[in-house]
Amino acid sequence: MNYPAKSRVFLHEIGELTRFVLRFFREAFRPRYEFSELVHQCFVIGYKSLSLVALTAFIMGLVLTMQLRPSMVRYGVEAQIPAMVCIAIIREIGPVITALIFAGKIGSSIGAELGSMRVTEQIDAMEVSGTNPFKYLVVTRTMAATLMLPVLVILADAISLFGSWIGVNIYEVLSFRLFYTQVIDNLAYYDAIPAIIKTFFFGFAVGIVGCFKGYFSTKGTEGVGRSANSAVVMSSVLIFILDLLAVQVAELIWDF
Amino acid sequence: MAKRTFDNIKLGLFVLVGLGLLILFLYMLGRNKSIFTDRFEIKVQFENVSGLVPGNNVRVSGIVVGIVEEVQLINDTLVVVTIALNEPMRQVIRKNAQASIGTDGLIGNRVVNLLPSKNPAPLIEPGDILQSQKDVSTEEMLRTLDQTNRNVLVISEGLKETIERINNSTQLTTLLNDDGLSRDLKAALSNLRNATGTASATMSDLRQVVGDIRQGEGTIGALLRDTAMAYELNNVVSEMHALETQLSQLTRQTGNLVTDVNQVVRGVQTDLQEGPGPARLLMQDSLAAARLQNTLGSLEEGTARFSENMEALKHNFLFRRYFKKLEKQKRKAAAGKE
Repeated sequence: MNYPAKSRVFLHEIGELTRFVLRFFREAFRPRYEFSELVHQCFVIGYKSLSLVALTAFIMGLVLTMQLRPSMVRYGVEAQIPAMVCIAIIREIGPVITALIFAGKIGSSIGAELGSMRVTEQIDAMEVSGTNPFKYLVVTRTMAATLMLPVLVILADAISLFGSWIGVNIYEVLSFRLFYTQVIDNLAYYDAIPAIIKTFFFGFAVGIVGCFKGYFSTKGTEGVGRSANSAVVMSSVLIFILDLLAVQVAELIWDF
Repeated sequence: MAKRTFDNIKLGLFVLVGLGLLILFLYMLGRNKSIFTDRFEIKVQFENVSGLVPGNNVRVSGIVVGIVEEVQLINDTLVVVTIALNEPMRQVIRKNAQASIGTDGLIGNRVVNLLPSKNPAPLIEPGDILQSQKDVSTEEMLRTLDQTNRNVLVISEGLKETIERINNSTQLTTLLNDDGLSRDLKAALSNLRNATGTASATMSDLRQVVGDIRQGEGTIGALLRDTAMAYELNNVVSEMHALETQLSQLTRQTGNLVTDVNQVVRGVQTDLQEGPGPARLLMQDSLAAARLQNTLGSLEEGTARFSENMEALKHNFLFRRYFKKLEKQKRKAAAGKE
């Protein structure tokens, strides 16, 4: 079949990625679990990202509140700022911003790490020594990313709302209790549940794309940089695509 | 390995905090939406639910106590709304409570308000059917407001016209700009004050006069206070009245007389002019008139002679006594009359 070169490369990559994902599931459910390595990766991927995510989440909440304020004041509904900000943060801003930060930090690091392992032939060496490199490197990292991003997002949401409360209090006095009541009043399960479920997919996308790019890294040290770069770009795009899918599926399921 | 354990502790803390937050958050949402509380269902009949949907809040005295479970259209005038109330409300709401549909704020979600009745009734039980109350809808309010607006428009236009007329009135402007006006006004006011003073003095004089009159002093006083005079005046008046009556009778009689005379005159006239009698002959025959004149002259002469004869007769001794007696009688009658 004769496809244009670029399309062929693109389709080839999609096919490879799909194969990679299928292989991940096959390896992940097969026994001999690398449990301690998974916990270690969780620590590296989740805990070590917390400070960065917390900072961005706090600033995001604060800035979002301050940016929304003039419009809300113009319409005379500044009392609705907490409601508006909390819906924006819980449903969209929290998961997506955190996932993008996560992709920037974790996706690139996984891509670079596995890429350098590939070009220095450490992965080949593992295979020779009898360790399943896919299980040991890819499954643990992807699992860790999938499991840690939701936790990070929940914490980021909380920190974001706290930042928003501070943002409101820059201009007026609003007790935390009232802020909290307004936030809870304006949220329902159909706001929270899909938002949390989709973060698993975001985490999985970041982990698997990072691993895929690193695992098939080529052309020496230059290739390592390219895999790190393309891992971030691709996982970021995937996050947005998944977000689009998530909102549609959520609307289907929750019937709104 | 010690480093690994330490890392694991941090990771465990991290995950636990995250999961704890998630659970807390979901629990709070659930508690707010009353998912974990027991509920019982009642029904309310409405004519119109104005956009009520399942999930809308139910309030008692402004507190959310349940949600709308189901909205069913039974027929073209009846909608049955199933409401799930929180279990504690069994001890609060009574069977005769009324339901009405309101709005959360002016443009917010629909809510069902349960309004307690003043009359006593047993507590509510699951499956009870509550009566509904027709509520003022926003549309009706807006319709009334539209009418009000139109009225206000008319009023404001009228006001505008009036004010424009005032503004454009040169008379008023000159009046307002005239400096002399205030001076004149002041003078007028002082004049008025003087006039008032004079009037008050006059009034006090008048009061004195009236007092005097009341006490019977002066001519008018006497006139007014003397009862005897009044009585006499009364008599005079009644006499005058009688006189008047007589006069009127007299007048009537005179009138009759005049009529009679009139008739006679007319008769005479007719006779004179047309009648066959001697009168007409007398009046119209100039020869006869001359003869008549002669006759009359002769008669006069005859009468004078007769008178002379009678005088002579009086002095005659045969008749003297009769005449003296007649004279005496005449004198006697005059004395009796005196």
